[in-house]
Amino acid sequence: MSERTRDTGRHMGGISRRGLLKGTAAVAGVAAGSGAITGFPTIWAQNIKNVTLRQFGTGVSNLNAVADKVKEDLGFTLQMTALDSDAVAQRAVTQPKSYDIADIEYWIGKKIFPAGVLQPMDVGKIKYYDKIIPIFTTGKLTPDSVIAQGTAPHTVTFVEGKDSTKFAKAPTQWMTLIPTIYNADTLGIRPDLVGRPITSWKDLVDPAFKGKASILNIPSIGIMDAAMVCEALGLVTYGDKGNMTKAEIDKTIAFLIEQKKAGQFRAFWKTFDESVNLMSSGEVVIQSMWSPAVAAVRAKGIQCVYQPLKEGYRAWGGGLGIAKHLSGLELEAAYEYINWYLSGWVGAYLNRQGYYSAVLDTAKEHMSAEEWGFWMEGKPAAKDILSPEGKVMEKAGAVRDGGSFQDRMGKVACWNAVMDEDRYMIRKWNEFIAA
Amino acid sequence: MRDTGRRGLSFYLLAAFFGLFVLFLYGPTVTITILSFQGPEGGLTFPMRGWSTHWFHNLFQQQAVGDFGGSFQRSLLLGLIVMALTVLIALTAGFAFRRRFRGSGALFYLTVASLIVPSVLVSLGIGLLFQILGLEPNWWSSALGAHLTWTLPFGLLIVFAIFNRFNPAYEEAARDLGATPWQTVWHVVLPIILPSIIGVALFGFTLSYDEFARTLMTAGSFNTLPLEIYGMTTNVTTPVLYALGTLTTIFSFLVIGLCLAGFIAVQRRRARRVASGV
Amino acid sequence: MTVSAPPTASGTGARPARAASRDRRAWSLRGWLPYLQALPLALVLLVFLVVPIATIAVVSFWDYDSIRIIPDFVLTNYEWLLTSAVTWQIYLNTLKFAALAWVFTFAIGFTVAWFLAFHVRSVTWQMVLFLVCTIPFWTSNIIRMISWVPFLGRNGILNSALIGAGVIDQPLEFLLFSDFAVVLAYVHLYTLFMVVPIFNSMARIDRSLIEAARDAGATGWQILWNVVLPLSKPGIAIGSIFVVTLVMGDFITVRLMSGGQSASIGTMIANDIALLQYPAAAANAVVLLLVVLLMVATMLRLIDIRKEL
Repeated sequence: MSERTRDTGRHMGGISRRGLLKGTAAVAGVAAGSGAITGFPTIWAQNIKNVTLRQFGTGVSNLNAVADKVKEDLGFTLQMTALDSDAVAQRAVTQPKSYDIADIEYWIGKKIFPAGVLQPMDVGKIKYYDKIIPIFTTGKLTPDSVIAQGTAPHTVTFVEGKDSTKFAKAPTQWMTLIPTIYNADTLGIRPDLVGRPITSWKDLVDPAFKGKASILNIPSIGIMDAAMVCEALGLVTYGDKGNMTKAEIDKTIAFLIEQKKAGQFRAFWKTFDESVNLMSSGEVVIQSMWSPAVAAVRAKGIQCVYQPLKEGYRAWGGGLGIAKHLSGLELEAAYEYINWYLSGWVGAYLNRQGYYSAVLDTAKEHMSAEEWGFWMEGKPAAKDILSPEGKVMEKAGAVRDGGSFQDRMGKVACWNAVMDEDRYMIRKWNEFIAA
Repeated sequence: MRDTGRRGLSFYLLAAFFGLFVLFLYGPTVTITILSFQGPEGGLTFPMRGWSTHWFHNLFQQQAVGDFGGSFQRSLLLGLIVMALTVLIALTAGFAFRRRFRGSGALFYLTVASLIVPSVLVSLGIGLLFQILGLEPNWWSSALGAHLTWTLPFGLLIVFAIFNRFNPAYEEAARDLGATPWQTVWHVVLPIILPSIIGVALFGFTLSYDEFARTLMTAGSFNTLPLEIYGMTTNVTTPVLYALGTLTTIFSFLVIGLCLAGFIAVQRRRARRVASGV
Repeated sequence: MTVSAPPTASGTGARPARAASRDRRAWSLRGWLPYLQALPLALVLLVFLVVPIATIAVVSFWDYDSIRIIPDFVLTNYEWLLTSAVTWQIYLNTLKFAALAWVFTFAIGFTVAWFLAFHVRSVTWQMVLFLVCTIPFWTSNIIRMISWVPFLGRNGILNSALIGAGVIDQPLEFLLFSDFAVVLAYVHLYTLFMVVPIFNSMARIDRSLIEAARDAGATGWQILWNVVLPLSKPGIAIGSIFVVTLVMGDFITVRLMSGGQSASIGTMIANDIALLQYPAAAANAVVLLLVVLLMVATMLRLIDIRKEL
């Protein structure tokens, strides 16, 4: 490992971290052996400052502010690289040595983890494990919740053993990803241009919005947007929208093709930014959308609503995984980073953007009562709500679209998913795009 | 084309056509320039929300996501390395092709094939290859190779064109005067073909600097500028991208203006030297 | 102008005797020199082109399921690809894009090259005009692609201008997120690839030939058709190879400009890759490569660019 040369980019001037590592690895080994690996202050607290971890993921959560705070709180360097969602999956699988920490989504994690590029994490070393929201461990938000369709995160969160790549049915000691960020998507609308109440996914294909609708252009997710619509229209009854049979795929795609030929869709979006631009330029007035994207449109002074629908939400989640090649001091640093990630500061930062964090208790400590009330409890804002950059996002008195955390995450209809029939699904999706 | 001196109607028609073409080429550039002056609240599309130079200041501050400075440095450096290697390799290969050698046909068609193979494929292939060999991909190794498969065919084709216009009589004359082959190349051939070499270099740099697909799976840990910008679009992006575009355009005009001035100066000096009979 | 490949062959005749001893040493080197000179190019292409493509060819025979890729030797990937009606439809669509892009880039490129080669007389001015055309390409393509939305969109510059001028009342929708937009972007991106080689060919046309044709009473069109066009063929061929291959392998332009509503072979491969279905993507890529090679071979059969270069 030490013969690798990297850090040529931004950190050319820094001390050779690998050189230092060789010297400290022995110390770390002893310390690790002695079992003194809990909590932040450790024997190698000084050495850890020389560690550099490379993290990559989409721009959604690979925020420079997080890297800065890591440097401040933990002392070591975190290098963030943002990529688009396709490239994230590619890099995770094809270039496992190019990163130390992978920030990936759960649904694609179903394919990435079995490729053997990540190592499972020991639950015993995750300080806040017990406080992680149960969606990610048991699958149930509350003990009596019904588990939603699709690749529910808890189904790919645990593997059977330290060296296993086989997902476990129930929680084990070995975790694949530590949840970082998740949310429930629904339709975003321009109330000024839509001109009527929107209540159901089927409104997406209302002929009144002909040429002004959009869905997601990631095949495995776009087809689920379509499935929500089909189900709302009563056209198809799915066993599991996140794992369709060939017949269900056929029906859904046939419906999409019909809509496309009728000119219902203006465009399909793939990146966060595209969804914002489509909406704020008025090209599209109704589309499946993320909550923070709606906020971004609103920040431009354009009316936009994240519209709760009676059929429920399509949810997604992302998490941090540790690269297989990581060991010794770097691995310990990675654990420290993950524990820090769950300790509240990041959680509050993400919650303030309209996402949700994995450990709510700690995030709450880092948020003001007004913020917590507005973002998490669905209460009217007691005073102006500011973005993490300090801009006014919502005026006092505003209520969050979709209400409280329980109201939103409790009404998830399905999770973004990888289907067993995904080879077939891609072929049909290509058919749709080519139609 | 008419008799020299007076311009015919066809000249004006064609000039107008060319003007329209340039206007078309600058369509996005103009849009980018206008929108880069968006007000601080404005977005990437119209309407304008006031006018400001906010985004030009913002360009030099830390963004929420991504790093302009680092990725720009990498892209610039990579572009320059690709440029140098393209000139060097294409030129030496060009010299080789002036003689007959076994396998020249095969090498030629391989070069053309390099042009034909779609970028995604090269990218995927090199990415997979590095993984299988257990090598760590990096912008200065795997991505450099990927870019070269793109710039070298262009370079070689241009070099071919250069040598075909090149009159071998100059070389013969140099040889007859007792110059070594090396001296002939250095003092006679290179100065004559220099302007065209600059063309190869410009091509090499431009193609590499803006390459996306070939870098996608070969860049390793850190992004080049196109990848970084694309990565940034996975979060809220701002007119800061347009500010970058506007600055790039201004900078390009400056660089090209300077190059041109240098070129004209050299031409003048040469003309003077020829006139004074040196 | 009609000179063909090895221009040096003529130079080895009579030379002063004092150079002879140096020559003998040089001769043994000379035999090897071309190989040495060609070596870097050959090495780069071997490592970064031949081997990766071979890797892809191998992977195209591997198997995969929804979870992992399995080294194997199966033909399913090809079977799936070639027996699916979508594949043919998408190939047809891509060929349509290639044909349209070719027609427009050729028509515009030829005219522009004609102007630059025959109407702009000073080399300096030719260079200036070329550079003016190059500058837009130094702004990252991703940024330029994003800027098409405010340029061509409903509230974009073009529609606003047309409405302002009273040409139309309603914004033109087909300008953006359509096949029109895709072809427009191709023409924007690739016309220069056509201009440069055609210009190069035209620059080599002996001006006295044109004068002779004119003296013989040929009209402008006849000169264009019978003199310039045939002599520009190598440039046209090279430009066409550039444009056709670029369009055939493209995925990002199609996706962004059609708003994801139009498919090309590139997007099909990208969709496979996105779901980590590498064997399927590889099989698709191998077929694409064969198709493009076939197209280029046909072009080369019509015009031997190597001989004419």
